[in-house]
Amino acid sequence: MKNNKNLHITLISLIIGFMLAVQYNTMQNPQERDTRDIWEIRQALSEEKKRHSELLTSIQSLNEVVSKYEDAESSNPELVLQETITDLHRQIGLLPVTGPGLTLTIKPAQELIEYGYKIEAISPELLFRLVNDIYRNGGQYVEIGGQRLLHTSAIRDINSVTTINSVPISKADVEIKIIMPSEELAQKLYNYLLSSSLMDEFYIDNLELVVNDVESSIEIKNTATQITSSYLSEANKGD
Amino acid sequence: MWLPLLGLILGIALGLLTDIQIPAVYENYLSIAVLAALDTMFGGIRAKLQEVYDDKVFISGFFFNIALAAGLAFLGVHIGVDLYLAAIFAFGVRLFQNIAVIRRILLTKLDERKTKKQEK
Repeated sequence: MKNNKNLHITLISLIIGFMLAVQYNTMQNPQERDTRDIWEIRQALSEEKKRHSELLTSIQSLNEVVSKYEDAESSNPELVLQETITDLHRQIGLLPVTGPGLTLTIKPAQELIEYGYKIEAISPELLFRLVNDIYRNGGQYVEIGGQRLLHTSAIRDINSVTTINSVPISKADVEIKIIMPSEELAQKLYNYLLSSSLMDEFYIDNLELVVNDVESSIEIKNTATQITSSYLSEANKGD
Repeated sequence: MWLPLLGLILGIALGLLTDIQIPAVYENYLSIAVLAALDTMFGGIRAKLQEVYDDKVFISGFFFNIALAAGLAFLGVHIGVDLYLAAIFAFGVRLFQNIAVIRRILLTKLDERKTKKQEK
């Protein structure tokens, strides 16, 4: 009889424990309901599709490099390596690049000059937005006011002067060069820039953004600074 | 004495590991059922300490209280009166009373033990 009693109590405390744990679980992670409608889901899907195709493209280009390496293994591996190095140099701005693209000009709005407005420096935030929009639309190489944008470039406001790579850019008439992978994409970017709100944003700052026509060949110079690395230097013999 | 505690721990572990979740609609019922279950458990402990414990009363009380609480909540939802508040109030008060009684009994037992030791 005593045993039976204990068993009952144990059973009931087990049920209580279970209920407590379930209640705890329910309170800790409330189920999030998916309240998106079909168009929002489609939009999310299209974003993922875009990412998918981007990844496929990069896989394709890497596969090409691999097959090149494999082909050249017997004949001339140095050539392929040289090609890769050239490509990397181009990416980090050690070599000049040419390609299809377009140029933009930022200048003070004409009618505002006539009424005697003071010309202010182009704000870094505006340039961020412009550059981000360019890259989002597939821009490969960008140069602003003669300064090439690299992965390490900084667009900053130093003592109320806008600088790129720590070099001040002019207040008026800044030229932006953009190189795109193809002329078709350049046309697309051109259309995007004309239709986007960027021009209005620049006008709020009393500036005018002029989008010039697509050109088949634009040249962007290499950066003046030579990149040196102190990590991979050869050790002297006997050290 | 240790077996019920083991059961409780086992139950909690089971519930946490299975990761069961109750739909938000039934959350109210579960919370009230948990309250009823806790009340019954403390009631049982009190009865045991007062030496009036009865197996039948305990088990029937457990299931009946839970069913009644859930039923009240259900009825309340359907007639638009928050009847589950009544259950929460009743069980809450009883929970406190039971725990208070348990505390007093334990205190008197402790005192008795002390006096016995002194007599020795």
